[in-house]
Amino acid sequence: MYSTEISRSSPTCFVFLIDQSASMVDNIGSGEGQRKCDVVADALNRLLSELCIKCAKEEGVRNYFHVAVIGYGATVGPAIIGPLTGRDIVALSEIASSPARLEARLRKVPDGAGGLVDVEVKFPIWVDPLANGGTPMSQALTRAQTVVSAWLTEHPTCFPPVVLNLTDGESTDGDPTAAAAALCRMASTDGDTLLFNLHVSSDASAAVSFPDEADALPSQYAKLLFGMSSPLPERMRTYAQQQGHKVSDRTRGFVFNSDLTSVVQFLDIGTRASDLR
Amino acid sequence: MQVHVSTFWTPKRGSTQQEFEDAIWVGPDGSSDGEIQLETLTVAIADGASESMLAGRWARSLVASFGTTPDASAGTDGFLAAYQTAVMGWDQQLSFYLADRAARGSPLHWYEEPGLGRGASATVATMQLRGAEQDIGARWTASGLGDSCIFQVRDEAIVLSFPIADASEFSYQPPLLCSRGIDQEVVRTHLCLCGGEWVAGDTFYLATDALAAWFLTSVADGRRPWEPLRDLDTVDADSDFPDWVNERRDNHEMSDDDTTLIRIDAIRED
Repeated sequence: MYSTEISRSSPTCFVFLIDQSASMVDNIGSGEGQRKCDVVADALNRLLSELCIKCAKEEGVRNYFHVAVIGYGATVGPAIIGPLTGRDIVALSEIASSPARLEARLRKVPDGAGGLVDVEVKFPIWVDPLANGGTPMSQALTRAQTVVSAWLTEHPTCFPPVVLNLTDGESTDGDPTAAAAALCRMASTDGDTLLFNLHVSSDASAAVSFPDEADALPSQYAKLLFGMSSPLPERMRTYAQQQGHKVSDRTRGFVFNSDLTSVVQFLDIGTRASDLR
Repeated sequence: MQVHVSTFWTPKRGSTQQEFEDAIWVGPDGSSDGEIQLETLTVAIADGASESMLAGRWARSLVASFGTTPDASAGTDGFLAAYQTAVMGWDQQLSFYLADRAARGSPLHWYEEPGLGRGASATVATMQLRGAEQDIGARWTASGLGDSCIFQVRDEAIVLSFPIADASEFSYQPPLLCSRGIDQEVVRTHLCLCGGEWVAGDTFYLATDALAAWFLTSVADGRRPWEPLRDLDTVDADSDFPDWVNERRDNHEMSDDDTTLIRIDAIRED
């Protein structure tokens, strides 16, 4: 299971669920006073950017993935802004060629003499921060089922779809566990749909990445989201371990106030261009 | 020394021939095939990494350098010299590429810049065959970094598997040569060298990873993978190379990857 090669002739899909509820205007517990809505928008833009860069070749971005971004807050629906506004599922090459805008950001890179230097990089924006209304997480997960179901009908043998939920966990339309479980039961011949959760919280507890038990998690929301998250398939655990995470066969795709961008590197599209050491 | 060289390649499914990122070099001009009569024959095979930009160009640069640098297969110094030559030529190749993009009114996109900054990566394996001289038998030397492989078959048995001998060693993260250059000590750590003798009737197979992994899995299962490869381009072949590879892909016996084979038959002179 979870061994189908991802390719242009056998692509898979990423569904991003982004919490845009009013509670997302509060600050995250760790960090420097960032609002939760800024953190999740930034995380999503980085995830999409990393996916595009991973699949970029000289003739363009290859469609190893198709992407849906569903926002949930005052409404539940497509959340990408700019030229792709209103689109449900979009080929990655279209995502790459149609950000709403490109911002200039500074990134620290090695200066070749043991130090770091700021360089300006282009940072594409597909989603802006938004905080409005309740947190209809169950509805969002049900909407994801619709997208995944349609995808699996067209691609029954693909690497299973991956759903990433970016939220503060405070669902206002009931316990989302059943909707999450139903989503995860949707399967290709290669395995069940994977649901991973990025929990941004006002709780100042230490960040947690890819835990294997809920006991040490700081809140009921964190525990709920951990319980909804899929166990990492074996190959993903190996990559998580290579990135320095302590893993076991109970490790789940869940992070608390931490970075989830590494998930992009858990997926194989061919030989990786890692530096020789 | 008289050998017969045949080359075969096919891109991964959904890729065009222009997107093919393996590369080969055979003989003094890089494109020799058929019957060859030389004192020495140099061949090289390279596999550009899927997750790197301009990987096919870099693979072609590597095989050209390894195919023409003296002693690239004979030892560490020759290998490093061939790699260094390719690295030194890369800036010019990149300049040509960027100039061409500009001339075509196709400037770089935001998503291309990080990959170009990281450089292109590829595996490489090269070997040189030398004919018998007076009291010295026919010899070969090989060098490689990564998972492109060389197999030597004699009398229906595999006598060499280089640099990988077990299919479980293949992964998505093989050692790679990067166009930005790598510290020589790091290259030395991963470099593999080998040498031996060959006799008329031997066959060498140079293969990129998908085919090499299938080959070693077949050997482990007690089969003779060289049989269908030996039959390719002969009247005994059931299909041409792309069809044969696709059949293995369909049966999940072989990864869907760019796939390349160089077959060298040492001709019996009887």
